[in-house]
Amino acid sequence: MKARLALTLAMASLWYRKKVLALVCLTLTLSVSLLLGIQYLRTEVKQSFTSTISGTDLIVGARSGQLNLLLYTVFHIGDATNNVRWSTYQSLKEDTRLEWLIPISLGDSYRGNRVVATDENFLQHFRYGRDLPLELAEGQWFEGVFDVVLGAGVARSLAHQVGEEIVLSHGGGRTSFSNHEDTPFTVTGILAPTGTPVDQAVYIGLDGMEAMHVGWESGVAIPGRTLTREQAEDRNFTPDAITAAFVGIERQVLTFRIQREINQFSGEPLSAILPGVALSELWRLMGQFERALLGITGFVVITSLIGLIAVLLTLQAQRAHEIAVLRATGASPALIASLYIIECVALALAACVLALVIGMAGLSLASPWLLANYGLQIALRPLTATEWALLAAVPVAAFMVALIPAFGTWRQSRRLGFGEAADQ
Amino acid sequence: MTSKTDSTSNSSRSTETAIEVSGLGFSWDPVQAPLRFPDIALKRGDHLFLHGPSGSGKSTLLSLLAGMLRPDTGSVRILDTDIHQLGAGVRDQFRADHMGVIFQQFNLVPYLSTRANVTLPCGLSELRKKRTEPTVADEAERLLAALSIPEDHWQRKVTRLSIGQQQRIAAGRALIGAPGLILADEPTSALDADNRDRFLELLLNLAHRHNTSVLFVSHDQSLARHFGNQLELRGDRT
Repeated sequence: MKARLALTLAMASLWYRKKVLALVCLTLTLSVSLLLGIQYLRTEVKQSFTSTISGTDLIVGARSGQLNLLLYTVFHIGDATNNVRWSTYQSLKEDTRLEWLIPISLGDSYRGNRVVATDENFLQHFRYGRDLPLELAEGQWFEGVFDVVLGAGVARSLAHQVGEEIVLSHGGGRTSFSNHEDTPFTVTGILAPTGTPVDQAVYIGLDGMEAMHVGWESGVAIPGRTLTREQAEDRNFTPDAITAAFVGIERQVLTFRIQREINQFSGEPLSAILPGVALSELWRLMGQFERALLGITGFVVITSLIGLIAVLLTLQAQRAHEIAVLRATGASPALIASLYIIECVALALAACVLALVIGMAGLSLASPWLLANYGLQIALRPLTATEWALLAAVPVAAFMVALIPAFGTWRQSRRLGFGEAADQ
Repeated sequence: MTSKTDSTSNSSRSTETAIEVSGLGFSWDPVQAPLRFPDIALKRGDHLFLHGPSGSGKSTLLSLLAGMLRPDTGSVRILDTDIHQLGAGVRDQFRADHMGVIFQQFNLVPYLSTRANVTLPCGLSELRKKRTEPTVADEAERLLAALSIPEDHWQRKVTRLSIGQQQRIAAGRALIGAPGLILADEPTSALDADNRDRFLELLLNLAHRHNTSVLFVSHDQSLARHFGNQLELRGDRT
């Protein structure tokens, strides 16, 4: 009965002071949304990051560290230390335990975006995210020597259409002064957005890569020795080397054995890495930053709770008469103190519910836009246990800070005489 | 915190005495000599007019009678219960069960409606809730009507009402659930002469109907004629 009275009184009191408290509640709501949002995005971004590449069991390249190999093959950051001989690639291809191989040849660029020379296996076997295949938004995969397929990001930022001709540059720099001007490429297709580095690259065939480098053996084009498109059409280009290969293994229990075998390959020094392991290692490096961000948001919530207490303590002065009435009518000091706790926790709960609603609405509004513009796939999903715990921590923290005015009132009202209003 | 058994046994007994005070002394400051209060014996249903100059200890006496201050010496028996023998929680409950209160001003909880202010004691005391007939809301409305609070004010915020109306609502709160004793601390000092006499008349009539004793504190000697018993505090120190 007393609990019900306390609840009724607390709710009526909250409603009575709604103007001031709505502002406090808004502050708290925003900070809780921020906290929840960051935790939510953290999980989503991590998920999206660690599945930048999926379905690939091994990445094989010249001997180097696993982060280096991952960075230049998947993220297009940095350069290869060395190449893999074509004969080595052929011998890997003959290994029946390997289900598929995607050859990758790097070295050129198109207006700051990497040129990736590969073959049709890339379209067929490359997977990202939750095992999603690549899809062409427009046109088709390259067939001819001078065909090129653009990543979604490249096509959007440079506003290229299927059928346009583009000139690739020699070398990996953002601005290059030596362009393959004799051998322009025709855009035959544009990939659908993936939200991975795949969007920021252009794809040509291995033969195209070879063809445009004929006459470039010294590093610059020697006039008269480069090929025209017509000359190139009839020739057969077999590369001497590739940069790396993505490997799919038929029986995945063999992954570690095959990895060891490749690492010990006698023909030339090779490295085979597990992309998942390398990705989590990379995330660990970057994870420091997002943990710091979460920490800062935690402090934002604490700050708004302190703001809430400041307001409650200010209101306490106005409540002296009401406390005198309740006390003389027979309310115990504990009941009066509990009003502060109920009010504070109720505000925190309201803020949490509002934050959930705001977060859900914001996410469902923003996610199509994020996907269309940045290829970021952030789906509405049920909250994880950690997120619920984080959310539940808010009313708990509110309860703890409410103990400050509650205890003050409890002590004061114990000493109150008949009809006496506590002076501050 | 609550002591239902204790309070219920007190009320089921039809007690004859409302207040019995003997040898009461209290001091705010241990260095000073304590205030001495005269002995009081008030029969159930009788009213007492208490007057005295300011500083004579009127408010202190009310605090002692309400059980909100502990006396240094002497005993306070309310409805045959020595309230200072009770624990703090039980004493609070005893006050909720058996005492109505009216202050000089700021009598009402500002965020509750008129009716919710009147029914407030029934939320704190099961005993007073049971004594309302047939329901708490009905009794509150009957009291409000008897105290001539217009019906359209019943659900309204109390802060918009006049002082006279606020004091009458406080009287309704004190009377609901027929407590044994009402402690009224200068409830009429903010009212004009007409309102004052009307307020007093209503309060005493309704109290009489419920067999409730009223201890009325005022410095206004002219009100004394409404009361059968009178007592003057002089603020004696020994």
